[in-house]
Amino acid sequence: MAEGALSIKLRCASWQQLATIYKRDLSHGTMFLKAATPPAIGTNVRIDLALPSATVIALSGVVQTHVNDPQRGAGVELKLAPIPTGTVWLIESALAAEHKRATTQAIAVPLSGAHAMTGLIPTIGENAELTAAEDDLIKALTSEAESLKKLNPFLVLGVGYEASDSDVRAAFGELTKRYHPDRFARYESPDLRQIAAEIFILIRDAYRRLGDATARAQVLHTLGKHAPAPRAVAGPPRATPAVPPPPRTQRMPVIPLVPAPPAPPPPPASAPPARPASERRPAGRTGEGGTDSRAGSVRRLASEPGVIRPPASQAGAIGDPGDVSAIEALIDHGRLDEALAAYKAITKKHPQDRNLRAGVELCEGLLALAARDRLEAAQRFETALEIDPSNERAARELADMRRQATNERKGLLSRLMGKKEP
Amino acid sequence: MARTIGIDLGTTNSCVAVLDDKGQPRILASADGERTMPSWVSWSAAGQIAVGARARRQGVTNAAATVYGAKRLIGRKVNADDVSWFARLAPFRIVAAPNGDAWVRVHGQPISPQEIAAHILRAVRKIAEDSLGEPVTRAVVTVPAYFDDAQRQATRDAGQIAGLDVIRILNEPTAAALAYGAHRVSEGRRRIAVFDLGGGTFDISIMSVENGIFEVLATGGDSALGGEDWDRRVLERLVDEVFDQTRVDLTTIPMAMSRLREACEAAKKALSVDREAVISLPFLADDAHGAAINFERTITRELLETLTKDLLDRLESPCRRALADAGLTPDDVEEVLLVGGMTRSPAVQDVVERMFHRKPSKGANPDEVVALGAAQYAGILTGESDDAALLDVTPHDLGIRVGDSQFAVVLPRNSMLPCRARRLFATTADNQKFVSIELYQGDSSDVAKNRKLGQVTLDDLPPGPAGSARVELVITVNVESILSVTAREIRSGREASVTIRPSGGLSQREIVEIITRRRHEHAALSMPDPAPTGGGVRVTTREHLVGPSDPAAPDAQTAPDAPVSPEPDPEPS
Repeated sequence: MAEGALSIKLRCASWQQLATIYKRDLSHGTMFLKAATPPAIGTNVRIDLALPSATVIALSGVVQTHVNDPQRGAGVELKLAPIPTGTVWLIESALAAEHKRATTQAIAVPLSGAHAMTGLIPTIGENAELTAAEDDLIKALTSEAESLKKLNPFLVLGVGYEASDSDVRAAFGELTKRYHPDRFARYESPDLRQIAAEIFILIRDAYRRLGDATARAQVLHTLGKHAPAPRAVAGPPRATPAVPPPPRTQRMPVIPLVPAPPAPPPPPASAPPARPASERRPAGRTGEGGTDSRAGSVRRLASEPGVIRPPASQAGAIGDPGDVSAIEALIDHGRLDEALAAYKAITKKHPQDRNLRAGVELCEGLLALAARDRLEAAQRFETALEIDPSNERAARELADMRRQATNERKGLLSRLMGKKEP
Repeated sequence: MARTIGIDLGTTNSCVAVLDDKGQPRILASADGERTMPSWVSWSAAGQIAVGARARRQGVTNAAATVYGAKRLIGRKVNADDVSWFARLAPFRIVAAPNGDAWVRVHGQPISPQEIAAHILRAVRKIAEDSLGEPVTRAVVTVPAYFDDAQRQATRDAGQIAGLDVIRILNEPTAAALAYGAHRVSEGRRRIAVFDLGGGTFDISIMSVENGIFEVLATGGDSALGGEDWDRRVLERLVDEVFDQTRVDLTTIPMAMSRLREACEAAKKALSVDREAVISLPFLADDAHGAAINFERTITRELLETLTKDLLDRLESPCRRALADAGLTPDDVEEVLLVGGMTRSPAVQDVVERMFHRKPSKGANPDEVVALGAAQYAGILTGESDDAALLDVTPHDLGIRVGDSQFAVVLPRNSMLPCRARRLFATTADNQKFVSIELYQGDSSDVAKNRKLGQVTLDDLPPGPAGSARVELVITVNVESILSVTAREIRSGREASVTIRPSGGLSQREIVEIITRRRHEHAALSMPDPAPTGGGVRVTTREHLVGPSDPAAPDAQTAPDAPVSPEPDPEPS
């Protein structure tokens, strides 16, 4: 929508209200809106008019005149863009059905003249919180889509590298119930539905790539991980073909286009340092309020010297990228400041090393998270991933933050729904 | 409370359901207590329209103006094989619209199948409104899974003509699975096959149901195979017999054909239970000497099965292909659901048992289960039930034309929706200036046999030898099966994109015209005046709303005044 345009949500609670609005306003191609501080003439206005049957009709118009009617109060008169005939027919046939019902049941309450005029006069700013909630939701979903794009399929689904077929299916099912575009069909905003579909496509692609053991092993291989030890009996291959879809038949077409060889595989992720098997566990736990918060619990443990096996030496002794594991131990033990200093020190010596530069960002991010600056933390983690897409820890932290954002979004959703279906 | 209804718009019968206050779907019955409504529409000589059972009763007396099976015609071309077969035996006339679509001619007036379907939808909507006591504007309408985009869009258009906001088109087998599976949660993962043989279409879907997630693994079928074909086989046989005995061609006598058709259908149904059925039609027609033909014939189950053996065979290959597409063997399928009246036939059940190595389940009422599922899906979309999700697939391959007539698949059939696929293509001529990308849908490797959806042209390609310019094609399909296509030249970054809105055969202008006509008829009959003042307003309304600048009528290329060429009608040979 253009900048400066107004968006209004309007809900007709009864068919009589709709009849009034239709007769008084829509059928003349105009609409009167009450407004204490009327918007300038020429302002574009979009109106989402919800019928009692929950059909939403999108109207758009332009502020034509300012009126000050003693009966209706101060406001503006909109000139509406022509309403599609199909929509008019929908309204008319619904009103006709209602009229017939009301007359046959003889419970129609005739509208008095005054009532008919004031029955429903929408006010600019009415349901503003609804519009705002929708905007918030779009923003939240957009940032989720952005952060999902940076993650590998395991992290998108939030499963560990050793996940089984049924783990993957269960995680996918869970996310489907949350993100499938059908979940968002009830909101009128096309933007909202679009962004939900984008998120679901990412989830679906991750599922396709992890859906069976063979495909999963391949993904693990590209990620530089080893397939989990003895695999259970692999089921038959799934219906959905692997990416990219192979040409069904091998043939050499001539003009005007030929299928080119498939795109080169994504650049192999620089192999991350080998990690002990115990570390390969479900990503996506934790943050604040998670269940198995390894980083968190270690942070807390940091004050108990007995538990800590102190790293071999202080920052000064760490000289080359090979010592990264020592710094990671520092992070594991919650000594973030030291780790950051160490990373910075060796980054000076090896300014080109992507692992190290990502490490700096990671430490900054963890520090920001400890200081509860989530925006800063998310940006740091994302930067770390941009520098070094194989930085597993940054990806995991992001996934946690995303999980938390999802929970918060549920609040937003219920705000929207609560309004719609009181 | 606002309700969204679920409509099973069937070839022979339609049915409507809604979620009740407890979230359980229930069928809405008509005022006479009928739970399904025949998908028949009839026009009296005076222009009165009857729908449902009343129309069906006129099938004998007013055969030429009583239309059934409109679903077989919707979104189809008149020259399709099965359409010409249908035309040969139907007592009403099927004609070609200027764009080649199959229309019906009644009392000299050409009528689109969309408009006929709209009459049925309107009648169904009225059943729902009478039963619920409130206006209904939103509906989920089901179609066979194997319908292509044109047939789906034509069904949507029918909804628009009926004044309905069709919030989603749902596949019939998926709907059936939803109705069936909704009661059985937490049984672990089950793989089921839905075998849906209705009046005019055959669908087979292989699905996985687990914890409220209904995932379609593969779907297949034949959008022109159904119970009416069984009737037709019997009908053809009897018409031939009458001709051999009396030299009278019944196909030229609409009333006789209608009576015989009804009798054949009744006999076929009876043969699902009994071993033989008797058709007795006194005074069916007059022979060359003016003597009455009193037709009487006993049909055995064996005869029916001999006549329809090849139809039974046609059920098998879609099943095999769907299983293969799903990567499953028949033994992996744990349950087979039967949907559609034709699955009551023992011969059909035998085919199912042979294909899937197990006896099919017979729990649900095959006539009602689709509408119940549609109501349930409406509940998912409106947020009334949120413990289930439905993952459907694209029924046909999507791709582009390469070379002269080859079809390069970009998005294979049975891809989960919504989805996005990319594929790289290269130029084939030196210094090629542009590429024209034509998008097709279908399952043949020859594009000519597939349906063209649209095209996008990418020009100003950077000069260079053949193959140097690489074009990345990205196809996105959303849950409503709306396609968007983007083509991008990799080196220059030049981009062209298009969103393809499927066409059901009627232009928006034609739809608006039909609606306008119906609004006028409606206004003449019963248009209420919601508030007692200002009777003159409505006239201005219409002029304002249906002005020439109506944005709903962007394409004016089709001449609206001659919707159907007078000839040729298909020859009743």
